[in-house]
Amino acid sequence: MWLYCIKRLGLSVVIVLLAILVLFSLLHLIPGDPVSIALGPRATPEIQARYAEKMHLDEPVVVQFFIFLGKVLQGDLGSDVFSGRSVALTISEQLPYTVMLAASSLAWAVLIGIPLGCYAAVRPNSLLDRITGVVSVGTIAVPSFLVSVWAILVFAITLRWLPVIGAGEDGDVVDQLTHLILPAFAVGLGWVGYLARLVRASMLEVMGETYIRAARAFGLRPRTIVYSYALRVAILPSITLIGIGFGNLLSGTVFAEIVFARPGLGSLIYDMVLVRNFPVVQGTVLVTIALYAVATLLADLVVAWIDPRVRASL
Amino acid sequence: MRRYASTRRQFLAASAGAGALAVLGSARPVPAAGAGGTLTLRSSGDIDTLDPAYTTGGSPNYDTLFSVNPSLVHFDVKDGQATWRPTAHVERVAQVDPLHIDFTLKSGLRWSNGFGELTAEDVAYSFDRQKTGEYKGFFEAFERVEIQDSHSGRIVLRQPFAPFMTATLASGAGVIISQKATESVGGKFTTEIPATCGPYLYEWQQKKHIRFTRNPEWAGAKPQFDEINYVFVKENEAAALAYEAGEVACTKITSNTYARYLKQPPAGSKLKVAGALQYMWLGMNTEHPKLKDLRVRRAIQHAVDVDGIVQGAYSGTVEPAYGVVCPGLVGKRSATRHYSYDPDKARALLQDAGVSGLELELRVQNNKERVLSAQVIQANLAAVGLTAKVIPMDSGPFWELGQESKGDQWQDAQIWIMRFSSGPDPYDPFQWFKRDQIGVWNWERWSDDEYEDLYQKGLLETDPAKRYGIYLRMQEIMEATGAYVWLVHEPEVFVHRDTLQTAFTPTGEPQFVYFKKA
Repeated sequence: MWLYCIKRLGLSVVIVLLAILVLFSLLHLIPGDPVSIALGPRATPEIQARYAEKMHLDEPVVVQFFIFLGKVLQGDLGSDVFSGRSVALTISEQLPYTVMLAASSLAWAVLIGIPLGCYAAVRPNSLLDRITGVVSVGTIAVPSFLVSVWAILVFAITLRWLPVIGAGEDGDVVDQLTHLILPAFAVGLGWVGYLARLVRASMLEVMGETYIRAARAFGLRPRTIVYSYALRVAILPSITLIGIGFGNLLSGTVFAEIVFARPGLGSLIYDMVLVRNFPVVQGTVLVTIALYAVATLLADLVVAWIDPRVRASL
Repeated sequence: MRRYASTRRQFLAASAGAGALAVLGSARPVPAAGAGGTLTLRSSGDIDTLDPAYTTGGSPNYDTLFSVNPSLVHFDVKDGQATWRPTAHVERVAQVDPLHIDFTLKSGLRWSNGFGELTAEDVAYSFDRQKTGEYKGFFEAFERVEIQDSHSGRIVLRQPFAPFMTATLASGAGVIISQKATESVGGKFTTEIPATCGPYLYEWQQKKHIRFTRNPEWAGAKPQFDEINYVFVKENEAAALAYEAGEVACTKITSNTYARYLKQPPAGSKLKVAGALQYMWLGMNTEHPKLKDLRVRRAIQHAVDVDGIVQGAYSGTVEPAYGVVCPGLVGKRSATRHYSYDPDKARALLQDAGVSGLELELRVQNNKERVLSAQVIQANLAAVGLTAKVIPMDSGPFWELGQESKGDQWQDAQIWIMRFSSGPDPYDPFQWFKRDQIGVWNWERWSDDEYEDLYQKGLLETDPAKRYGIYLRMQEIMEATGAYVWLVHEPEVFVHRDTLQTAFTPTGEPQFVYFKKA
C-alpha cells in the first residue's frame, strides 16, 4: 500500500506541474492585449507601461512562466495587480466558501443518490426503478444555472423561505447554513442523478456475480448481501467519481457562485479573467489544480484501501 | 374497514418529513432590505484601489471614497444638467474667476486613527499628489493650492479649464486624503485607507461586501442610515432577482429588466435614471477602400434606422443619440444635420457612387444589446443593397481593432459599433477624436483643423452659451465626415424601494451620504 501511495503521489506532482504549464500557456493565448482590457480606453501610456511592468508583461512569456514558478516554489503566489493584496490571502479567504459548497452539494447527492441507486438495482424494472431512472436522467440533463434560477424563483422570491444572495454573516453558523441550502441544492441535484445511475449499473453487474449467488445460497439476509457484499464492490467507481467530482466542483461551482453572489474560487477566477488580473488567475488556478489532484489522490487511495487489487495496477 | 397500521420505518420517515416541513414552514421570511437603520444595496463590482491618485475609479471605488473621505464638491443635477454642490466638509467653495477657486473647510472635522484635524494642507497635499499620480490628466490645468490659514486656501489653475469643478473636483480624483496618515504608510495605499474623515466608516471583505457604519467621530450632520451593507452581486440579472426577493433595497438594472419594470414594476418600487453618459455609434474607417467614397458613407448614414434600434435592441428604454455629447451636458444636440433615415436617398447615393453588391464586415462587442443593434443595422443595410456580415467579438480583440500599436488589423476594420462612456463635462468625448488619436481611439481616421482649434477653445471657454456653440459645431464636423451614425445613449438605471430616496452621480455611482428614508 505504501509503495502505491508514493507512486500515486509522484504522479500527482507531475500532473500538477504539467497542468500549470498548459494553463499558463492557455492564459497567454487568450486574444486581446491584457493591458488594454484591464485598464480600458482611458488609461494613459504611463499607466499602461506601469501595469505591464507590474505584471511582467514586458518580459517574454517563458521568462514570465519561470518567474511565476520560482515564486510558487517559494510559496509566493504574487499579489493582485490592482489592490496589491496577497493572492494567497485572497485565495485563503475564498477557498472555504467553495469547499463548503462543493462538500455540501456532494454530501446530499451521496446521501440520496447512492441509496436510490441501490434501491433501484435490487428492484430492477419496478415502478420505483423506472421513476428513479427518469428523475436521474432529468436531473443530469438540467443545467445547474437553470436549477439555480428556478430555486430562487420558488424558494426566495415566491415563498421567501430562503435567502438568495451572499454566504451569510461571519460567525453565524445558522445564517451561513441557510445561505448554503439553495446553492447546494442547485449544484448537487445533477450529482444525485449521476450517482444513482452509476450505483444502479454497478450494483446490477455485481449482483449477478458468483459470490453474490453463493451468499444467497448460504442463506444470508438480502440486506447483508446488498450492503456488506455487493455495495462494497459496486461503490468503487462512485468513489472515484466523487473524487473527480469534488475536484471539478472546486471551480465548477462558478455558476452557483455567480447566480447566488457567493464568494468562492470559481467566481474569483471568472472575475479576474475578465479583467486579466493574471497573478490572481494563476494563483487560483494553481490552487484549484492542486486541490483537484489531492481530491483524486484521496479517492484513489480509498479505492486502493477497499480493493487491494487496485494497488497492483499502478 | 381497513385497519390503519404503520411500521417503525414508516413512522420514522413520516416524522422526518414532518420535521423538515416544520423547519421550512417556520423559516422567517427574509426581511425586506432597508428596514430599520440598515440599508442593503447592491454593488456590481468589487474594490480594487481606494487611493484617489491610483484608483481605476468607477463603482464601488468612488462610492466608497465619497462616503468616507472629504471632497470640496460633490456632483449634483439641477434642471437636468450635471453640476456640483459643496460638501458637508466645507463652509464655502467658490470659483472667483476662471483661474482661482477659494475654499474654507469646516473646523472640528477629525481624521480617524488619531491623525488630527482636516486642514487646508491636506487639500494641497492631495491635489499636488495628483499631479504625479496615474490620473494626472484630471489635474492638467491645476497649478497649486495657496494655503491661507489652517482651514482656507485658494486653488490656482495654470489656465482656465471650464470642467475643473465637475470633471476634476467632483470626480473621485478630487477626494482629499490625510497627509500625515498617507505618509505614515509610505505615501501610497490600496484598499485600506489609513485615515478617513466622513459620515461613514467602512469595512471591506473581498467578494462579499463593503459595510459602512456611522462614524462616531463625525462632527457634521448624521447620515440617515446607521449602516449600509453594500453587497457584491456581479450579474445584473441575479441582482434583479435579489431585488425581487427583497434582499437589496436598490440595484442597477439592465435595459431588459428596465423595459419589464416599466410595464410592471415590483410592488413598492421606483425606477431612477441616474444618467445616460454613454454614447454609441456606428463607426466607419474612412481610409478603407470600400468606404473611401463619402457617398458610400453617407448612404450608410441614411440607411440606418436608429428608432428601429431603440425599439428592437433596447425595448424603447434608451434615448437616440445625435452626437457624442450626452444628455444633461452642454452641447447635447436634438437632431442630426447631414443625414436622416432615408433608404431611398441611400440607394440613390450608392447608385451615384456606382456601388452595387458591396459586402461589409460589421464588428461589434459581444454584448446582447449591441449584437441586436448590429442585426438591426444588418437588416437596414440589406434593404438598400449592402451586405453586412456581423462579427461579434470579445472585448480583448475588439478594443485592439483600430489601434495601430496592436498590429495591422486596423487596415481591415470596416464598420463597427462602438460605445464610450463620457465624463460629466462635454469636453470629455471630443478628446478621443483629435488628430493625435488617429490609430489610437479615432478609428474612423479623419482629422480637421477647425475641430482641433475648437477643442482647445472649448477647454478654455467658461461661458456656457459659447461652449454650447463650440460643441455643437464640433459634432457637425464629425458628422460631416460621414464616418458616424449616432445610435443611442444607454442609461444607468436603478430600481429602488419607494421608501428610499436615492442620489447618484451622472456616471451612475450612488452617493450614500444623500440617501434618505422617503
